[in-house]
Amino acid sequence: MDSLHGIAHGLAIAAMPTHLLYTLVGVFTGTMISHLPGIGPSAGIALLIPATFGMDPSAALMMLAGIYYGCMYGGAVTAILLNTPGDAAAVMTVLDGYPMARKGRAGAALAIAAVSSFIAGTLGVSALAFVAVPLSELALKFGPAEYFTLILFALTTVSALTGESIAKGMMATCIGLAISTVGLDLQSGTARFTLGLSELQDRVNFLVVAVGMFALSEVSRMVEGTREGTMHAVRVQGRLWFTREEWRRAWPAILRGGSVGFFCGAAPGLGGTISAMLSYILEKKVSRRPHEFGHGAIEGVAAPEAATNADTCGAFVHLLALGIPGSGSTAVIMGAFIMYGIQPGPMLFQSQPDLVWGLIASMYVGNVLLLVLNLPLVGLFARILYVPPGVLLVLILGIAAAGIYSFDTQVFDLYLALAFGVAGYAFRKLDIPRGPLIFGVILGGLLEQSFRQAMTISSGSPLIFVGSPIAVFLLLCSVVSVGASLWAKRRPATKMLLTGG
Amino acid sequence: MKDRVLAAVVAVVAIAYLYSDWRIPRLELGDPLGPRAFPALVGIMLLISAVLLMLETRRGRQAPIATAERSGPSHVPVLAGILVWTIAYYAVFEAAGYIIATIVYLFGLLCVFHKGRHKSNALIAAGFTAAAYGVFSQLLNVQLPLGPLSF
Repeated sequence: MDSLHGIAHGLAIAAMPTHLLYTLVGVFTGTMISHLPGIGPSAGIALLIPATFGMDPSAALMMLAGIYYGCMYGGAVTAILLNTPGDAAAVMTVLDGYPMARKGRAGAALAIAAVSSFIAGTLGVSALAFVAVPLSELALKFGPAEYFTLILFALTTVSALTGESIAKGMMATCIGLAISTVGLDLQSGTARFTLGLSELQDRVNFLVVAVGMFALSEVSRMVEGTREGTMHAVRVQGRLWFTREEWRRAWPAILRGGSVGFFCGAAPGLGGTISAMLSYILEKKVSRRPHEFGHGAIEGVAAPEAATNADTCGAFVHLLALGIPGSGSTAVIMGAFIMYGIQPGPMLFQSQPDLVWGLIASMYVGNVLLLVLNLPLVGLFARILYVPPGVLLVLILGIAAAGIYSFDTQVFDLYLALAFGVAGYAFRKLDIPRGPLIFGVILGGLLEQSFRQAMTISSGSPLIFVGSPIAVFLLLCSVVSVGASLWAKRRPATKMLLTGG
Repeated sequence: MKDRVLAAVVAVVAIAYLYSDWRIPRLELGDPLGPRAFPALVGIMLLISAVLLMLETRRGRQAPIATAERSGPSHVPVLAGILVWTIAYYAVFEAAGYIIATIVYLFGLLCVFHKGRHKSNALIAAGFTAAAYGVFSQLLNVQLPLGPLSF
């Protein structure tokens, strides 16, 4: 099925009443989650995966994807009204969004953020639909050695580009890979690293790791925010729309930001934060009024918002076409795919065309729903900000407990998630990125499987990993990503970009 | 200093992981590598990452303290309190049942983070627990423990 037919077929599936309902639930929930400072899309998706148990996988994935891009869509609201990004990717929106709000232009900032997100999101989904098919066809030629080098490339890039220190990124990835080896070895049936605990024989569930590392550890950040009294929202005043002059300045920024965002999303490891930063820097460079940036320039809101939303579409490219996640959030979504018994990757377009095209088309529908929901209801959503953060953090702990227990109905998982929550807190305090750990947990099984299959084919010779042009190319890409990261981190400007400083 | 301690701790963990791997029985069964090879590679890479961090620290490239997120000393006892309270909640989760344990757990936390509003805190704790129980138990068919309420 080519892309145009795929989109048409997918739209028919996404327009089914049940799927429409779950897409709506997803984008609505994502928007709400984005209004909870500290709780990002990864934590939100991980917390809500248990709510999809027993659902039709297509509807469940439409809902989870909706949470992801809904979160990105709404992340601007806390950035503009609270001076705190709702998720890390909205960090650049703070720079000009909050000054606009302080000047009484909160309505214009919120409206341009919503319109930018809609335009970039819609263009991004189109690009996703047209890029994913040829990429999946190429990936069908991959054998175990090529898959091993592909996963290695994804892990290397994520380790090298996330956070300030390559060593810490590598450390987090290796800890994730080590966690993935706990449990019964699938080929020999041998128990590995189970510490004699029968609960660990079935492997450590990624959901337990994700909820612990993202949601429970973020509670500690909320505690700090609550007790330091840093959460005070600016109230929305005036008309929720922008002027003609503001639109004239914003639309080129939306197109540039959207393009930057899609390409960053399609490169594993770069993620929404870097795409937002790159688009902001680009906009400031090309602007005739660079002095206004940081003081309420509307381009400074439009470009990063467009970039983060196009980035989510880019991140889906290799999740759907190659079975490799492009960001922490798509890693969690990939975990959900696996939980439903679906292996994302090149075969998905042939084996589950309804699911994959329905999911892609649901993003068009979701973007329209987000625009329709966000503009008139922005005031209503903003009210979530006025709910005491102390109440929200307590409710998150309550949701996490019910969600984790519901997965396997064993209290052991609750303790394990709490341990990962403590580890996540330590990671945050020690500046160790958490994204690579989740990548390691999710991809560890696949990496080991492809490694062992390749070595079996070659009768134990590691030369198989340099035996095909694709494998050599991917290994070279891994080396280049590490080299480029080392070079970039020596330069103060790019170092700041990569670390979010 | 902080990163040097981290590197040392990770190195110890990596060695312990490699030792545990070495103790796994070798069962090759047509697989030339067996169950030990991949974890061995992971353990070695973890050890290398600890060495790299130590080298980064020596070269003075560790994160400046200003960029690291700092927790004020006043937060640590509060976070420790939440941790202990959460462990106590998990300990009675099945015996007391989801409804009773969660209402008490949430109410206790709300008394700290939403001070002085006992009536609304009680309503929030009970309302949330009832809603969560309804969603998980009735809609999703998840068997949440009922404890003494299972009559």
